[in-house]
Amino acid sequence: MAGTSLGRFALKRSVQGIGVVWGVVTVVFALRFVTPGSPINAVAPLDATQATRQAIAAELGLDQPLYVQYGQYLFDLLRADMGYSYVKGQEVTTLVFAKLPATIELAVAATVVAIALSIPLGVLSATRRNQPVDYGATLFSLFGISTPNFWLGIMMILVLAVQFDVFNTSGRGVTVIEVAASLVGPAPFVATLLGWLSYITLPAIALGTYFTALITRLTRSGMLDELGKAYVRATRAKGVPETLVRYKHALRNTLIPVITVLGLQLGTLIGGAVITEAVFSWPGLGTLIIQSINLRDWPALQGSLVVIGVSFVVVNIAVDTVYGYLDPRVVYD
Amino acid sequence: MTRCENDRDVGRRTFLKSVGAAAAAVSVAGCSSGNDTSNGTDETTSTENSGGDDATPGGSGSESDEFAVDVTMGQMDSGLDPQDHAETNTNIIVSQAYEKLLDRDKDGSIVAGLATEWERVETGTARFTLREGVTFHDGDPLTSEDVAYSIRRIVFDDVGVASPQKNDLGSVEEVVAGDGEVTVHFSGLNPIVFQLFATNGEIVQQAWIEENSQDYVNRNANGTGPFELTTYDSMNEVVFEANEDYWGEPAAVDRLTLNASSESSTRVNRLLAEESDIVTNVPPQEVSRVQSSDVASVAPVPSTRVIFLQMRYDVEPFTSQQFRQAMNYAVDVESIVENVLNGFGTVTGQPTLEPFTGYNPDVDPYPYDPDTAEELVEESGFAGAEITLQTPIGRYLKDVEVAQAAANQIDSLSNVSCELEQREFSSLVQDVTTGKIEDKPAFNLLGWGNGEFDAAQTIIPLMTSDGALTILKNDEVDALVAKAQGEADPDERAALLQEANALVHDLAPWVFMHQQYSVYGVSDEVDWEPRADELVDPYTATRK
Repeated sequence: MAGTSLGRFALKRSVQGIGVVWGVVTVVFALRFVTPGSPINAVAPLDATQATRQAIAAELGLDQPLYVQYGQYLFDLLRADMGYSYVKGQEVTTLVFAKLPATIELAVAATVVAIALSIPLGVLSATRRNQPVDYGATLFSLFGISTPNFWLGIMMILVLAVQFDVFNTSGRGVTVIEVAASLVGPAPFVATLLGWLSYITLPAIALGTYFTALITRLTRSGMLDELGKAYVRATRAKGVPETLVRYKHALRNTLIPVITVLGLQLGTLIGGAVITEAVFSWPGLGTLIIQSINLRDWPALQGSLVVIGVSFVVVNIAVDTVYGYLDPRVVYD
Repeated sequence: MTRCENDRDVGRRTFLKSVGAAAAAVSVAGCSSGNDTSNGTDETTSTENSGGDDATPGGSGSESDEFAVDVTMGQMDSGLDPQDHAETNTNIIVSQAYEKLLDRDKDGSIVAGLATEWERVETGTARFTLREGVTFHDGDPLTSEDVAYSIRRIVFDDVGVASPQKNDLGSVEEVVAGDGEVTVHFSGLNPIVFQLFATNGEIVQQAWIEENSQDYVNRNANGTGPFELTTYDSMNEVVFEANEDYWGEPAAVDRLTLNASSESSTRVNRLLAEESDIVTNVPPQEVSRVQSSDVASVAPVPSTRVIFLQMRYDVEPFTSQQFRQAMNYAVDVESIVENVLNGFGTVTGQPTLEPFTGYNPDVDPYPYDPDTAEELVEESGFAGAEITLQTPIGRYLKDVEVAQAAANQIDSLSNVSCELEQREFSSLVQDVTTGKIEDKPAFNLLGWGNGEFDAAQTIIPLMTSDGALTILKNDEVDALVAKAQGEADPDERAALLQEANALVHDLAPWVFMHQQYSVYGVSDEVDWEPRADELVDPYTATRK
């Protein structure tokens, strides 16, 4: 019964998700007609004659009526063909999916940073309320929420990469796939892992700091809330050790909303890594999006946003589904 | 509780427990990762995989005898098809693998490329004798058919792509492939045919282009140049290795990596952290940071780009020559170059830069003289004029700051008020490139690069009546330029262009600003001199 309900829920959300993605496609497609600037200027020199401009427009299909361009784009999209980049002359599908792993890797790494720091800090803060640790954690949360990630990124580069030469300043020299491959391949695992960390640590911290602060606050307030509940008093009255009370009972219940927020943030991080990617020259979708906007490369921009939209929708559906699974009080309808 | 519910409950708890455990494990890992990573950079230098190599590209082969050079630009390529782009960053990348019939040295003088001899055989016809023993990177020999096809692919819409370089080789009518030579027929004289072919027209292999898709050609390279493509990671990096079968001396650089960062601070950081050997466009505010380091220095060079404020001749108050001249007297370009650009610029007084054909040495820049400016405004009859200067944001070196300074100086005149409007470049350029003069901005900052080193390549598009970007219609200018373009004698032609430059100075369709400098950051481990034409040629780099 529950399974049927869950399946129906997932199906309903998927259909809604398709609607959302279609909306994204349509809005982005419409934007090209209200945004000044033409992709032809990214392709042709400034002094190109009008004849040359018209020839390029014809080649790019820009001379077609609006509804033809829109219909053709939707038709191609249904066949998983996102067209050709106006500027790069490359297939958008290849371009976008070549960049997506870097963005996902960064978003996941930022989430890992957020989990690694925020949950222990939130728990410590709640269990040592009004003590120096709590003040420190609260101060850190304030700093994390109020610090722009691009500024933090630049500062970390200057201090940790340029001044102390601990990390790489920018780029993505080693991928997580290469790290995994080094487990079985000829490359030395430790060196590859450390190489990977030298690239990803700073952008992951820069991107993850805001969420670290957010989840620290969430964990702290959640823990305080749970620790004051009757079931906690009951477990304490039974003589359960304090460690078990905190970590087996209170933390577990605190984690339910935390996981929900984390899941939703993963989607936000995929779309929100644009500035961090620019600061660290991280070759992900953000870099592609910025360049596509600057050059009015609409197919590449649409492709990127469609993929981000789909990622966001999928993560949301997954989180909603898992949330119900974790909390039996949630009813799908 | 049913069995089913019980299972579900256990699963949920197990899941939560595992999440908690994972959080704890990651937390521990997170605490120790800082120390581990601090060793990571050192560890990585000895790694033989690609990531390890990339960790210390600036090491210039510190781990072996390999001489590796890393170049960081402002932006990556727009595809590797050498004939389907029209911008500098792509040109920098493709020029490592592809070559032209003629080339230029660092100062801009024409030198042999894939052609060893070039001559004008008659009016409107040029012949190029091809270099022998040249092979493409796939091993196939270069043929005259390949050269003819390459030219046709650029200039004719029905051959391959609608190339944005279509107008860059002059009005080609026919290309004939001969035995070891190629003859090109033009519809007119084409007085600067060899200047055009020294700047434009990369040669591709016909069979390779025809056999492969557009996507493939934009992701791969098969040229004759000193570097062979090994890795193309779109928008991330392009890696080349020295072409050992190159017709010339093989490059001293064994491995060349080109990457990009739009953030100038990131480029400089890469240089100072010894991750990059050459970085482009070091902004003035970063120069002292580079100069004070002990690992790199800046290498400025006057570029072929001129910066100016153009005024539309048909819009009041710019209809008045006196008013336009007043704007030139009102702007203290010398002070702007000194204070805004830290000296990285040369004041101009004509559209043509000093090393170009047609530069007039007798024309001096307008001096800064606000009193004369105010008098000229009064005489023009437009006292009290309110004007708006439009400027692109971030397109040219300190463009907004330069425009702000100029607008303030004009605004400080007692009888003119001037406001500044900042515009995104794509938006501004759409107005600038419209075919109709009446749709263009009345007053805007713009830059113009002239890779052909010839006055006509600036004056024709920007100042003649039929120019694609013109804001001026003047019969005298049109006549002088038309006469120059029909003049076969180079000295006579240069004299006509000098006359045109003097005339344009007086007509003042621009506030003549400055010649922009290209400022590079160069590692102290690499010996490399920048070029005037904004290209980067690691082929000439050697190890210090």
